[in-house]
Amino acid sequence: MNAASLAGRSSQTMTAAAVEDYTSDERRWAALMVSAQSGHEADYCLLLTEVSKVIHQYLCSRFGHHDFIEDCVQEILVAIHQARHTYDSHRRFRPWMFAIVRNKAIDSLRRQRSHHNALERHREELMLDTEHSNSGHLENTELRGRLIDALSPQYREAITLTKINGLSTAEAAAQLSISEGALKVRVHRAIGRLKRLVQADTP
Amino acid sequence: MNSDRDDLIGALSAGLQPVKPAPRIDRIALLWFAGSALYVIAVTQLLGPIRSNALAQLAGEPRFLLETLSGVLAIAVTSLVVFRAGIPGALTRRFAAFGAVLMLVWLSNYIVGLVSPALDPSMLGKRPHCVWETFIYALPPLAVGFVLVRRLYPLQPVQTAMCIGLVAGMMPALYMQIACMYGAGHILLLHILPGLLVALVGAATAWICRPRQGET
Repeated sequence: MNAASLAGRSSQTMTAAAVEDYTSDERRWAALMVSAQSGHEADYCLLLTEVSKVIHQYLCSRFGHHDFIEDCVQEILVAIHQARHTYDSHRRFRPWMFAIVRNKAIDSLRRQRSHHNALERHREELMLDTEHSNSGHLENTELRGRLIDALSPQYREAITLTKINGLSTAEAAAQLSISEGALKVRVHRAIGRLKRLVQADTP
Repeated sequence: MNSDRDDLIGALSAGLQPVKPAPRIDRIALLWFAGSALYVIAVTQLLGPIRSNALAQLAGEPRFLLETLSGVLAIAVTSLVVFRAGIPGALTRRFAAFGAVLMLVWLSNYIVGLVSPALDPSMLGKRPHCVWETFIYALPPLAVGFVLVRRLYPLQPVQTAMCIGLVAGMMPALYMQIACMYGAGHILLLHILPGLLVALVGAATAWICRPRQGET
């Protein structure tokens, strides 16, 4: 599935009510941000609460339900806070916000390390049913987001094992029966591909 | 909702300070471009004579005039690209591509000039240290642009700083074709190349100044 079809799917599924919600959200968030720029705490708190839910849904639908999504949402909230002085009330709020969301989501995914905690979290299930985790988890489209799903199987496996399951490069390479160098190339290309898909994606 | 997230939102909202309204980014970009261009012209004129027949060539040689104007346009549009990159969502891919194409079109004039120059190559007006002048004159505009853009929120800070360096470097490089001798090879090697090096200085500066992981 390419980026155009992803964008097309999201626009096709927008009903009239959704369009109305979209417009009213847009106006309300823009007004709340202008108020926040003036220092109104309550409006800012409301804005962050509302957008955090939208951002969480957005990330889950694109990348799947994973532990790193919550960290990513919080990073994005901090980024929105740091960038709030750049919001121009003459421009629309969503493009401003989603430019930050897309950028931080890819940054966050890129920074996911094969760290000990993640490994420990997943080791048990891998040990319990290695065969299932090799194929079942990777092929379960319900758990993956649609952007991850849009990757080719090679890239999807590489990114799922290293960035989401938290395996080390050596472990993931062994699991896929490829060299570590080849795995690094796949991960790098997968992130590049995800970046393009996210940039072309219509929230 | 996640309690950690609630805590974070509470912490971000508590004691919220007012911020200045968003700047008019195109105006800032054009002011920086105009200020930097004036500075480059002034410092180049002050520190050495310009080629004696340069203005007459601008008036009498349409291709040379077009080459110079295409450089001015490319640098001005790239200035807008750079500053728009400092505001999330303000820079469209199309506009960024437009700036890149203008820059390539301008620089390709000198490649074409190796075979078919806009002016007859001449040593007249040669400045002995033009390579250093181009590099050094570009540093103050780079510093000012870097500080201005960092006050915004560039999502790709290293690439943005590299573009600031490119624009800052190309300003003296362009003016040197009036202030120094004209020859496509000389321009590419001793004016454009040091200008491109300023782009690397910009990228390196942004890399060094980038926020470390975990910093907020």
